[in-house]
Amino acid sequence: MKNPLVLVVDDDPDILDAICDILQAEGYRVERARHGLEALERVTARRPDLILLDLMMPVMDGVAFAQALRDRKMYEGLPIVVISADGNPQRAAAVGAQVYLAKPFDIDALLGAVSRLVGEEALPN
Amino acid sequence: MTERVETELSGGRAPERKPSGKPPEPLDDEQEQVEEALERRRGKLAFVAHEIRNPLSTALWSAELLVRMPGAERSGPRGDKLAGMCLRSLARVRLLVEDHFLCERLEISGIPIRAEPIPIAEVVQAAIGRRPADAGPCSAEVASALSAWADLTLLGRSLDALLFFAGRGGAPVKVVAGKTGKYVSIRVDGAPPVDGALREPDRNTPSDTTGRGLALPTARRIVEALGGSLSAEPTGFLMTLPLDEAGEDVSPDTRRSPSGD
Repeated sequence: MKNPLVLVVDDDPDILDAICDILQAEGYRVERARHGLEALERVTARRPDLILLDLMMPVMDGVAFAQALRDRKMYEGLPIVVISADGNPQRAAAVGAQVYLAKPFDIDALLGAVSRLVGEEALPN
Repeated sequence: MTERVETELSGGRAPERKPSGKPPEPLDDEQEQVEEALERRRGKLAFVAHEIRNPLSTALWSAELLVRMPGAERSGPRGDKLAGMCLRSLARVRLLVEDHFLCERLEISGIPIRAEPIPIAEVVQAAIGRRPADAGPCSAEVASALSAWADLTLLGRSLDALLFFAGRGGAPVKVVAGKTGKYVSIRVDGAPPVDGALREPDRNTPSDTTGRGLALPTARRIVEALGGSLSAEPTGFLMTLPLDEAGEDVSPDTRRSPSGD
């Protein structure tokens, strides 16, 4: 898979900017959404290879988004990495995420999880 | 480098708690109150941790990205963007940490209150002057020579918070201060406050990106420590403070002093 597409969902604009910067510098393509409803629109318009998902968001939170996603068979198996500041990995498990990263996580931990889940060991810059 | 916290999840199920074997004993009223207070405190601390972790993350990441960046690129647009993000994030962390520890110290009387006669017109004008340049219009009507017993620094911090929240979204703010019995009343009108925002920080600004997620409960706690009260009104906030009766020379005419527009 070349230049996988990652959808980053977070209501904090600086978090979105920073994570997108980190991923783009490593050769990933990125889409961003500020809440679950916007994320559903993005997923419908263009299926990402992986979703980085915050849990506490306005309009539609991460739990509701993940549930809505899982209700649609076509998105079965789409990997989700929860990126949350709530310090509760059990909530991530409840949404069926593969990995939970507690903010503030290490940049290399993020890149490692993303690379592993999209099946890439290394990406060309 | 930040501490690496990663949890691999499997099965999508939370671990189940083992049953204790016997039903819990019913709580008496006192125990219930203690448990409710503990629950509120747990919720507050979880919220504080949550609020701080977001800007702390962006501060750490942007700093680390700047360090990893080739020197020549640091003075370019990406370097400028990351440096700005780092400073902005640290400013958010600073406000949150200051508010949190101020609240905690007030709870245990761990901070000296330096009460002195405070001319309200001056302190209101100073607070208006501290508003950012892009804030909406603000005007003040303060009875001349009106003075309250308060700690200047703490009162200023409370007023800053009220002016900020009343002025959300560029809403025009109006401050009206006068005497009510043995109290000075300061009304700050503007954008209507979120219900419960003075007591429960998580109902205040769900997507706060300014570092002021704890500012309103902190303002309330400060005003209470000063012997006054702070309440949410349909169109803003109402603060009362003990009147400085010795310095009282309240003339019937009021001084109108528009500012910031």
